[in-house]
Amino acid sequence: MKIKEALVWRILMYLVLFCGVVLVTAPMVVVVINSMKTTQEAGQNFFALPSSFYLGNFKELFEKNNYWVYVRNSALITLISVALVVIFVPALSYSIARNYERRFYKSVYVILLLGLFVPFQIIMLPLVKQMTRLNLLNHTGLILIYLAFSLSKGAFLFVSYIRALPSEIEEAARIDGCSTFQTYVQVVIYLIKPMIATIVIMDALWFWNDFMMPLMMLNKTSSYWTLPLFQYNFKAEYSFNYTMAFTAYLVSMIPIIVVYAFLQKYIIRGLTAGAVKS
Amino acid sequence: MKKKFWSRDRMTHLLFTVPAFLAYAGFFIWPVIMGMYYSLTDWNGTKPTYEFIGIRNYVSLTKNPRFFHSLTLSLKYALMLVVVVVGVALILALSLNALKRFKTFAKSIFFFPAMISSVAIALIWDQLFYRMVPEIGKALHIGILSQSVLADPKTALFGVLFVHAWQAVAMPAVIFLAGLQSVPEELYESAMMDGATSFKRFCYITLPYLIPTITVNTVLTLKSGITTFDYVYALTGGGPMRSTEFIGLLIYNEGFQDVRFALANAEAVVLFVIIAVFSFLQMKVSNRASV
Repeated sequence: MKIKEALVWRILMYLVLFCGVVLVTAPMVVVVINSMKTTQEAGQNFFALPSSFYLGNFKELFEKNNYWVYVRNSALITLISVALVVIFVPALSYSIARNYERRFYKSVYVILLLGLFVPFQIIMLPLVKQMTRLNLLNHTGLILIYLAFSLSKGAFLFVSYIRALPSEIEEAARIDGCSTFQTYVQVVIYLIKPMIATIVIMDALWFWNDFMMPLMMLNKTSSYWTLPLFQYNFKAEYSFNYTMAFTAYLVSMIPIIVVYAFLQKYIIRGLTAGAVKS
Repeated sequence: MKKKFWSRDRMTHLLFTVPAFLAYAGFFIWPVIMGMYYSLTDWNGTKPTYEFIGIRNYVSLTKNPRFFHSLTLSLKYALMLVVVVVGVALILALSLNALKRFKTFAKSIFFFPAMISSVAIALIWDQLFYRMVPEIGKALHIGILSQSVLADPKTALFGVLFVHAWQAVAMPAVIFLAGLQSVPEELYESAMMDGATSFKRFCYITLPYLIPTITVNTVLTLKSGITTFDYVYALTGGGPMRSTEFIGLLIYNEGFQDVRFALANAEAVVLFVIIAVFSFLQMKVSNRASV
């Protein structure tokens, strides 16, 4: 009786997982097989495997578009923004955590935390006006915005983490003659390495995949586009040649697929750690 | 030991804090303040001059059916999203947790949607709704699926919901999976000895341990639902017939396309207040729960 019931549950679970895998992978499979077809061939049978290894779409895509420019834009923006986050967020949080009793640092912390409750919609309109006036509708402006926007969440994750660390190690370093800066660089950074990994993964994924900010800041100049903007603008240009569109989506996803294939374990772990805390 | 006021320790901490905070003040706090200020003017966003008109924008919002439509639509959508995402994520996590082999591999597959940009996902599903789903509908004789669900005002909302959920399930599922590891194994064993059914074990052992995780996932999903932008922008643009014009999209359209800049700012302030009240309530509730 009990064995039978367990068996039913087990079968149900396998069924759930099977349907889930199909639902998750089917779109990807359709994208891959149709990227290797002409529109005529796809029109005949959308689900069939390509009759030949047709690479015309890929050739045309790379010849007619600045694909590598978009990859470079996305990569540069992501790399520089993440580097700035790693330089500023842990240092800021360290200062707040070690001066928690001082009114100035406490206020800074509270103001940063209040930012977590602000929906993006209230910032976007005035921000675009401001950036236009400052002549910053470009990559530099976008990177500055990413830095400013990542501080709230960053401080939230780091301050309590640092406060929970035992301060004896830092005191020992100080007795050995280290200045505050040396203590931070030579001791504290090693203690907060797991949290740094988490924020690098979280923010890198955010910057790389972000659509809304680039749409508002960079859409007017096509040489500034990031990969998500390229994908979006491709829709209008190739609405009929949809196998070409699939090719473009596939090619734009390849960098992240490669990264995910190698680092999935760390990515999942890092993102979970960041989300559970909030 | 009394420190000098300008000690090196103090200078270092100031150096760590002030530049970052200035960036935050200039590119985050200042726009918020300006947004609130613009909402009290009649600026259309392009004119060189504008006037201060007090709360007139807010008064006109109370009589604006388009705004109320968007607001209620967003709330409705967010609630549906929570039910679907949290429900599916929980079922998925329980199933994954029961796997004995290939657990890590299966987890990686299910987490993959969280890696891709939401625009790419929306655009791919847009094509699939248009070209693949109708063929499946025809084969199975399901009438609603014979055309793209996004083309019909009655079903477009569910099309967007589906695509959003397709991507949004991954993260809560992994969080649930982490939460499930906190349930002590002995409890299951002793419950089995006492002859509890699987369903009872879930209700009396698993569920109580998962309540904090359920709260986290509900809050995260609710917020992303209320402020949804990418998916609707790429899938429907708010149509057909405003059936998917969520508040996030309405503010964008009114501010940038319809040159009602000040009014859009007023709408954003209302949204801000709603989110703030909601976050405050959530903190109260979770504080009480943890005491």
